[in-house]
Amino acid sequence: MTGRTLDHYEILTEIGSGGMGTVYRARDQVLHRDVAIKFLSPPMLEKAGGEHLLLEARTASSLSHPNICTIHEVRETSEEFYVVMELIEGRSLNELNTQGGLPNETVLRYGIQIADALAHAHDRSVVHRDLKSSNVMVTTEGRVKVLDFGLAMSLDKGPLDQITRTIVDLGSGSELVGTLSYMAPEILRGETATFQSDIWALGVLLFEMAAGSLPFHGSTGIEVGSAILQQPAPSLPAHVPPGLTAVVQRCLAKESALRFQRAGELRSALEALQSASIASREPQDSHFGLRTIFFRGVNHLAVKNGDVLLIVGTTKGLFLFRASRERKRWDKAGPYFHGHPIYAAAFDDREGRHRLWIANNSFWGTYLQSSDDFGRTWTNPPEAAIKFPADSGASLKNIWQICLGRAEQPDTLYCGVEPAALFQSTDAGESWAMVRGLFDHPHRPRWVPGNGGLCLHTIVPIPKNEQQMLIAISAAGVYRTDDGGRNWQARNSGVRVVHAPEKFPEFGQCVHKIVAHPDRPERMFLQNHWGVYRSDDAGDSWHDVAHGLPSDFGFAMASHPHDPDCVYIVPIESDEFRCTPEGKLRVYRTRNAGASWEPMSRGLPQKNAYETVLRDALTTDSLDPTGVYFGTRSGKLYHSRDEGKTWTELIDGLPQVVFVRAAVLDQLGGPPAGKRIRSDPKRPVRKKASTKSRKSRRER
Amino acid sequence: MPVTFYIPGPLLAFSGGQCRIEIELSPGTVREALAGLSSICPGILDRILTEQGELREHVNVFVGNEEVRYLKGLATPVPANAEITIVQAVSGGLLPEH
Repeated sequence: MTGRTLDHYEILTEIGSGGMGTVYRARDQVLHRDVAIKFLSPPMLEKAGGEHLLLEARTASSLSHPNICTIHEVRETSEEFYVVMELIEGRSLNELNTQGGLPNETVLRYGIQIADALAHAHDRSVVHRDLKSSNVMVTTEGRVKVLDFGLAMSLDKGPLDQITRTIVDLGSGSELVGTLSYMAPEILRGETATFQSDIWALGVLLFEMAAGSLPFHGSTGIEVGSAILQQPAPSLPAHVPPGLTAVVQRCLAKESALRFQRAGELRSALEALQSASIASREPQDSHFGLRTIFFRGVNHLAVKNGDVLLIVGTTKGLFLFRASRERKRWDKAGPYFHGHPIYAAAFDDREGRHRLWIANNSFWGTYLQSSDDFGRTWTNPPEAAIKFPADSGASLKNIWQICLGRAEQPDTLYCGVEPAALFQSTDAGESWAMVRGLFDHPHRPRWVPGNGGLCLHTIVPIPKNEQQMLIAISAAGVYRTDDGGRNWQARNSGVRVVHAPEKFPEFGQCVHKIVAHPDRPERMFLQNHWGVYRSDDAGDSWHDVAHGLPSDFGFAMASHPHDPDCVYIVPIESDEFRCTPEGKLRVYRTRNAGASWEPMSRGLPQKNAYETVLRDALTTDSLDPTGVYFGTRSGKLYHSRDEGKTWTELIDGLPQVVFVRAAVLDQLGGPPAGKRIRSDPKRPVRKKASTKSRKSRRER
Repeated sequence: MPVTFYIPGPLLAFSGGQCRIEIELSPGTVREALAGLSSICPGILDRILTEQGELREHVNVFVGNEEVRYLKGLATPVPANAEITIVQAVSGGLLPEH
């Protein structure tokens, strides 16, 4: 054949041969380019019939796609049938696939291109029928090219019956055994090839690329066929991410109705895995880097600039809500991490980020996890980021607070944990270190756990003063550092304890929450285990401001974003009966720094409402008028769009609500993370408000 | 001699979705066996042991049918062809309310 000229093609060298025929490299003497020419073998011609093949080749030649080998021409003479096609310089997938499989990202990259090629063909009603690793080429540029679309031996009923009938005769090494390995169960049963049988074949191919071996083995055709029909697909190796495993398993469902129905669906699934894997890749280590979690069957939020995001942690998972800034209609997403308590979360919108942080607590440890796409994908770190040092002898039990650092330290984050300790990150959460000065405090041996354990639950960095910060521990009280965390002093003067003979000890108070307003950071409010207090000197002294409240017991406290004299609380009857007094659900507000309090109950149940609002389950947003939000232990979520004057039930029936925070998404679509950006000048703010107001929402 | 590990549902993300993993290992103790498992399932050890190297409070590890807490803890010897089952304890899990 070599040296022969057929029409205007000069046959140069043989490239390969197989059951279908032989392929040659040839020179197109008219267009001066090299092409590949496949001559179909006489048995093939006899089996399928020249006319049928011509029809199929014509259909296949109608496909024009970057991942499909282009067919230039199909010729039939009295002696020969040949196909002139694009010459692809590269290697076939079965040559590339080494023992142990290809890297996950390569499997995804190739898989997406093959699925895209299939989707293009399926949209034009072309079924490949013989997708296998030797039919997929990877060019030297890394582009996938699928060969032999529709040109496979016609797998309509006739020949197929023959295959199934003669399967016992197939010896090892038969070409058909190779082809057989990719055949869907229904094909082996003699049914016609469909889109779903192509999807099965792609499932086999994905498995082969990921594992380095075929899912269904056998030394003879009968063994392979029997494995395909009867055995479940084996497990993929441990390095294959669960998302890819799930996709392969779905492709390899024995019932075609349970597979992806369209190649486009499969492509989308692979693309989602790819984008998540890119988002979670650590530059220094791709194999053991951060892994990613997806939540299937969960509605996700579609957010836009200007929306209000509500982050709701419950004892059984995380929920997210969004509304436009009118805050009338709320969309719900979640539960994320269903079954796991989410006691702490934060939204970091500094430096152009829009990163959600949560602390995920389970029997398997407590992990900080983050999402940069509003919950669609989450990091799943192989190791906990927050660990007590070995010499401390302590082990992390829970993370109770995630707090953003000051505006001038946009990469700083803090975590308050149990057993009581403070951790700090100065690289946007990549690495964490324990604040030694607090852990080694001489009072520590005498700190007594509260009902919630010995937890550091409140962190108040003082704005514009990197040296000063307050923290609160149950039941050790308030501590302040004035030297950046090296030394800490108890700051509980004036705060009463009820569980010890000495009513005003230096420390040992069971503080439930502290809030401070960035416009007046030296003024703070404190909800104690009995007692509501104010300090005007950054905690040096505290004064009882519980005038006129139905009870001064309570957990939650939130400050107004634009008014340093305004604070919200939800009084609870007593430490014994931890419910709202008189069965009335009332938020109380002061607008004069605690001189007087007013109940805010319009729209809230005032009969048989024995509710509890926990420490971090009350919050405000930064809009004007401010929105106020709280959740209850009974799973109700309420919100007010008018500073608490009127309330609406946002949802009922959540698990116990333990955490609520609001964020206004005013920086979406801004510059990428890492670029400093200015706040939106159009954002409405009250006269009192300043850029500091945004900090209040972050630092609470 | 192979050691067979049975992985619970919540940890399948770290075992490539496999609930049964067989490794050629000759570990002396459960601690060494878990380290061997961790070498092919990164992230799994952190879920089983605390940062101080102790078994997490609500995680149970069985060698055969025996829970290692009733044997020698993580120093429990691992016999040839052992089956090691990792499960989440039924008890506990209630976190305090505030």
